[in-house]
Amino acid sequence: MTADALEAFARELARARERWRHLVNHDPAQRTYGLLHHDADVMAWLICWMDDHDTGFHDHDGSAGAVAVIDGAVREDRLRLGAAPLQRIVRAGESFTFGPADIHRVRHAGRRPAVTIHAYSPPLWRMGAYEVDSSGALRRHSISYAEELRPLSAA
Amino acid sequence: MRIDVHQHLWSEPLVAALARRRLPPRVRRAPDGWWLDLAGEPPCQLELSSEDVGRRAALVHLDGVDRALVALSSPLGVESLDPDEAADVLDAFHAGAAALPAEFGAWASVPLRDLDGAVGELERRLAEGFAGLCLPAGALATPAAVERVAPLLDALERREAPLFVHPGPAPAEAHDVPPWWPALTDYVEGLHAAWHAFAAIGRRAHPRLTVVFAALAGGAPLHLERIAARGGPLASAFDPGLFYETSSYGTRMIEAMVRVVGVDQLVHGSDRPVVEPPDAKAIGPATWEALARANPARLLGARALAA
Repeated sequence: MTADALEAFARELARARERWRHLVNHDPAQRTYGLLHHDADVMAWLICWMDDHDTGFHDHDGSAGAVAVIDGAVREDRLRLGAAPLQRIVRAGESFTFGPADIHRVRHAGRRPAVTIHAYSPPLWRMGAYEVDSSGALRRHSISYAEELRPLSAA
Repeated sequence: MRIDVHQHLWSEPLVAALARRRLPPRVRRAPDGWWLDLAGEPPCQLELSSEDVGRRAALVHLDGVDRALVALSSPLGVESLDPDEAADVLDAFHAGAAALPAEFGAWASVPLRDLDGAVGELERRLAEGFAGLCLPAGALATPAAVERVAPLLDALERREAPLFVHPGPAPAEAHDVPPWWPALTDYVEGLHAAWHAFAAIGRRAHPRLTVVFAALAGGAPLHLERIAARGGPLASAFDPGLFYETSSYGTRMIEAMVRVVGVDQLVHGSDRPVVEPPDAKAIGPATWEALARANPARLLGARALAA
């Protein structure tokens, strides 16, 4: 699926309230996930965010992705070497995409709990979770998509 | 509650019933110990001394789970015996399973030559608290075979009880094959056939039935591209009512299945005492929780606690 098609797919799911309304469930301790769609080409999740929920820096191995924000806002940071991360806030009604080669971090933004749709193509499988060790070296941990993403360092 | 959906246990009543038989399937005592004779496999020695129930219950906890579901081993072929012959062994299996401590639940088995009787038998076993029905993959080997056992699948659907598809029996033939032969050829092929047969017509006829295939269905859904290329039932690879238990496989095959069917469809099964489970820690903590706790709860429903 192309980036445009994936973003359109995520935005269409975001409009289909009956597909995900029952999965909205905010938990102060962690993000909550609900699987919305899975076929040979694409997998889509509803994710609920609250204060301090943070994925840490990660990549999606071979998958591209699109995020559509339904409610609240999230902040995306793109990792850069020798420069502060490139930041953007994405609010309800907005969306963004990323490719398999991108390394980013997504955090809840603002005070209002957030609800987002995440679509991945091909369906998410392995991920890279990044850690900055005490010497400043960047280290990549290969994890299954089934493992919870969380910050591995103070990066 | 964490659950292992696939174990076997040679209970005393089961061993006694099989020892009463003159023909396979049977167990016999020889000077060098106990032996199991099956129609389609080389004789195999049984380590009955390690089948102490207290020891097996302790292993459940050591494996990191709270309960294990035991099944009658389908390679025995008991289900396809003459119903009178089958009844003696089946009664012994269910009596043995019902007497096990709280660490165990069990799958029911029924005689398959008399399906009218089998439905009544299944209803009775489910009412007694058995978790669901274990069918040999051989009983689901073709679309016509799935149609034949439809009354049993209807009964499971009515009772919201799951089906466990277990490999076997191996076709009866000469014994000049290595001991691992059936497990790596007949069982894998039989699970593939059962998965495709259910995908071909079973799902349409039984839309609410939950099914768990032993041994990751032999990896049948991994053939996704081939299924698509040949016009097969692609949607079954993403059927949220089809589950796959992990026995005899480790992290590489489990990860391959995660890539295709997703982590939500995999459940932990060990196949003790035939094989040992993989190290749960190697699987990853969240994946292990999904396989041992969250996914079996969806597969078994209320029966996860009651079984």
